[in-house]
Amino acid sequence: MTGYAPPIRRLIQELSRFPGIGEKTATRLAMFILHTPERDAARLAESIMEVKRKIHFCPVCFNLTEGDVCEICGDPARDREIICVVEDPDSLVAIEESGSFKGTYHVLHGVLSPADGIGPESLRLRELVERIGVNSVREVILATNPSVQGESTALLVTKLLQGKDVAVTRIAFGIPIGGDLKYVDSMTMTKAMEFRRGM
Amino acid sequence: MSRPPLKTPAFVIHFLNYGESDRIVTFFTREFGKVKGIAKGARRSRKRFSNAIEPFSHATILFSRRDENSLAVIENCDVLNHYPKIRADLARTMRASYMVELVDQFTAEGKKSAAIFQLLEGFLGLLEAGHGAEETTLFFELRLLTLSGYEPMLEQCILCGTTIDETGVTLFDTARGGIRCSKCSRGEEGCIPVSTGTVKTLLMGNGMAPDRIPRLILSENAIRESSRILRHFIRHTLGREPRSLQVLDEIKKMM
Repeated sequence: MTGYAPPIRRLIQELSRFPGIGEKTATRLAMFILHTPERDAARLAESIMEVKRKIHFCPVCFNLTEGDVCEICGDPARDREIICVVEDPDSLVAIEESGSFKGTYHVLHGVLSPADGIGPESLRLRELVERIGVNSVREVILATNPSVQGESTALLVTKLLQGKDVAVTRIAFGIPIGGDLKYVDSMTMTKAMEFRRGM
Repeated sequence: MSRPPLKTPAFVIHFLNYGESDRIVTFFTREFGKVKGIAKGARRSRKRFSNAIEPFSHATILFSRRDENSLAVIENCDVLNHYPKIRADLARTMRASYMVELVDQFTAEGKKSAAIFQLLEGFLGLLEAGHGAEETTLFFELRLLTLSGYEPMLEQCILCGTTIDETGVTLFDTARGGIRCSKCSRGEEGCIPVSTGTVKTLLMGNGMAPDRIPRLILSENAIRESSRILRHFIRHTLGREPRSLQVLDEIKKMM
């Protein structure tokens, strides 16, 4: 990298800080930016600054938003009595893209991870409990991932909501659509049997 | 030149996501001690890793590495035990996470210890079987300290050497790593009050086979005192509080 002019070196260094981007990829990206028309580079820089200036957490569900509240919380057609709890905005987007859920969300921004020192104080749990207390919520769907961290977070939310007049449910786990039983691992199979439903 | 793949039973003691879909995983193996490796595509490939890379999972791993000091390449993992009952209980999940964190902290990479492997296997088995999470943790802590060369002196006074049967115990001296008898009990910083009964219970449990530990019934006071002295001693030995204990405290406060 020493052969590059200092501004290029600085750009490579900055791009190398992105997750999953090593020095070689950063160099390739820097070269692309260098050869791109100035207006395109300015648009990229402006997009980065716009995101930093305008995006903040929705005060209700903690999704990322540009407005006072996010589009979902601001939509009168959404069922506010059902809250789906997700780990991060990516999970929310995945559920939204399925078009299968018409309630509202609560984004925790993480999961319990004892080995990394991530405890309940680092998550948006108090805000969830306050939301249940204030609004007439009838169901909370726990849609954290089926990992040890996701499961323990779901167990913690369940404990926190114990005694409140709200149904707490967990998303189903099991055989993927189009999957083949003989290739399913034992834990998924156990969960699929556990979460079976009547026909 | 790379060597042929090695296959061994292992526990996942830590992992972190790396890049788009890889994971850097720390395993504790029966045959090679602590091994750190990269599992390429672990977050995508259910086939090669079949959900095995999860905290405290017991799995057979297939890996290769240039030498003992290089990062291993994890090629395949087959789950032996997911510990479903631990995973279904928050308190047990936290205790199991604490146990693997301690193993990570008290072991060095490449240093083989079949005894520590057996200890982890035995005590995760106790948690899975539903034995009291707090009692199980206490005896795990004490045995791990012993196997790592940090065994606290519980049989006799750390200062004058008299046995606990002669004068009884009043303090645990964290800095010196042992008990103090009633004659040597001038309070100094780092000394924690502890009763003779608690120390005797710890000694009794420490000598028992893991499968007999569930037969021991500890009073609430014994659990409280033992947990306090071991926690202080571990913090003193490591030079910091284990992260999982901080999380456990946060959870207790929130409940």
